[in-house]
Amino acid sequence: MEEKKLGLGSVIATGVGLVVATSCLLSLGIGAASIGITFIITMVIACVLNMLLALSVAELNAVMPNLTGGLAQYTLACMGPFITVIVMVGGYLVCNTVISSVEAAMFGNTLSSVFPEFGISGNIYSGVLILVLIVLNLKGVDMFAKVQDFVAFALIFSLAVMGILGALHLGAGEEVSQAAVLSCDFTDITGLCGLGFFLFIGIEYVIPISKEVKNARKNVPMGMIIGLLSILIMQSIMVIGFKNYTPWEELGKDATPHVLYGTMLLGKAGTVWMAVVSVLAVTSSVNTVISSLGYICYGMAKINLLPAFFLKTNKKGAPYVGILIIGGTIFLINITGLSGTDQLSFLLLSGCVFWMIAYIVTHINVLILRKRLPKVPRTFKAPFTPALQIVGILGTLWMIYNIDSDAGIRIRIYRLCLFTFIPFVIYAFVWVKKVVKKPLFKAYPVSEVMAMEHELYWEHHRKK
Amino acid sequence: MEKVELVKVEIITNMAKVDMLRQELGKFGISGMTVYEAKGCGVQLGTKEYEAETHSEPILLDKQVVMVVLEERELAEFLDFVEKELYTGHIGDGKIFISPILNVVRIRTGEEGTDAIAEGKAY
Repeated sequence: MEEKKLGLGSVIATGVGLVVATSCLLSLGIGAASIGITFIITMVIACVLNMLLALSVAELNAVMPNLTGGLAQYTLACMGPFITVIVMVGGYLVCNTVISSVEAAMFGNTLSSVFPEFGISGNIYSGVLILVLIVLNLKGVDMFAKVQDFVAFALIFSLAVMGILGALHLGAGEEVSQAAVLSCDFTDITGLCGLGFFLFIGIEYVIPISKEVKNARKNVPMGMIIGLLSILIMQSIMVIGFKNYTPWEELGKDATPHVLYGTMLLGKAGTVWMAVVSVLAVTSSVNTVISSLGYICYGMAKINLLPAFFLKTNKKGAPYVGILIIGGTIFLINITGLSGTDQLSFLLLSGCVFWMIAYIVTHINVLILRKRLPKVPRTFKAPFTPALQIVGILGTLWMIYNIDSDAGIRIRIYRLCLFTFIPFVIYAFVWVKKVVKKPLFKAYPVSEVMAMEHELYWEHHRKK
Repeated sequence: MEKVELVKVEIITNMAKVDMLRQELGKFGISGMTVYEAKGCGVQLGTKEYEAETHSEPILLDKQVVMVVLEERELAEFLDFVEKELYTGHIGDGKIFISPILNVVRIRTGEEGTDAIAEGKAY
């Protein structure tokens, strides 16, 4: 019997490491600069909604354990191929590509703010980085795999230490005297929920490690909840630190708020510290996305939801079609001039909408499986079902409605999402009708989705 | 004859699960079990989950049967425990058969019923 090695601590660490990215710091800076420390209330609301999602995902993992595609396969078994292709294949790929583009832009911004004397635009730095990562991935080299965890933890450790130094007035820089609260208006607080949500998004990435976890049925959901709580505490301390050392106005305008905070708190040493850590973190996370989305496309083609050309691999075994398409898209988004705080925030929020829709579908999946398979021996059951899922769905819809406090930006975000979804709807309709040849909304039996995981499944079914 | 409320639980599962089940049953407090190898198939007639068409004639697969006798009042909790331990969501997780037991006799002491399956008294 295979020995399971990971404990609760590893689950928490993985969850925190996967959720916290440098683009979170941009949202944190913008949010805190908008309303002051009351942004913590926004974060609490967003954190609770992400906890509800974690519980729903844990239950789906209990019903359909150890699936590589995760959310897409749950949806295939609950809502059929049409919705799965639109929301989970299209939406999920788009939001990850968009958010990675923001991450890559943060890399360029960080370097251009640390080395202003070179006069090189941030887009050039990020463009070169993306090209290098595409080439490395095509060569099947994952030079960051070994340092990935170290880099993620270095970022988290740095943020925690810097947050505490700032919150306890222990910084070497000059303290700022400013109002702690800029607004305590409820609509202002909820209007930033979209940004707040982004700070906790992605906890479902913990699920793939569950087969390595001791007492997974208890440790995985608990680890996800504790991980989210830890992020909430860490980011809240950062907000207090911002208040003590960074003028709100400058914080809101800066495209690299974490570097600004490092400078204000510890001078040049703080700048270098935050720059080094964030450059490493961005590099490793963009690398992960280019690589993992390439494999996700490969996996989706394996379950017949994407064209078979995504299954092509080069001599090094890398799924080069997915890598080139995803990497190329991130490159194009960056090279066309993505750098300003407003642009980055707009793209982050648009990516968030896709992700939130995927989360709503996930809650609905739990309700469908409770109804359809009430007696399946679930090793984890989300408490207070269906109330928990209903609150999760309504809360997430409310966040989409409040994706930005500015009505004009909100409409632009909705419009962008709608225009992005239209090609996926057309693709999904044609693909399911002509290639998959199954009813659009007929759910696959759970046993069939589970069987599709087997490497021999398509070999047998294509012969047929 | 003294009235006993005992049930026999026969768990048919695949070979790979038995060792794990043996260890977990120990944790649950089961003091005795019988395991034997068997060959058989379920409603899929031995078709592997990845195969496209169901076999027309049964293919007998290697299985193991774990047989446990316990008191009826413990049954619900025990079944819940075993189902969760064996569940993977894949075809082939197995089946559990439950049947009543008229009586049990421990030969060494002559004890009957629940006494016969409990920790031995100091005879």
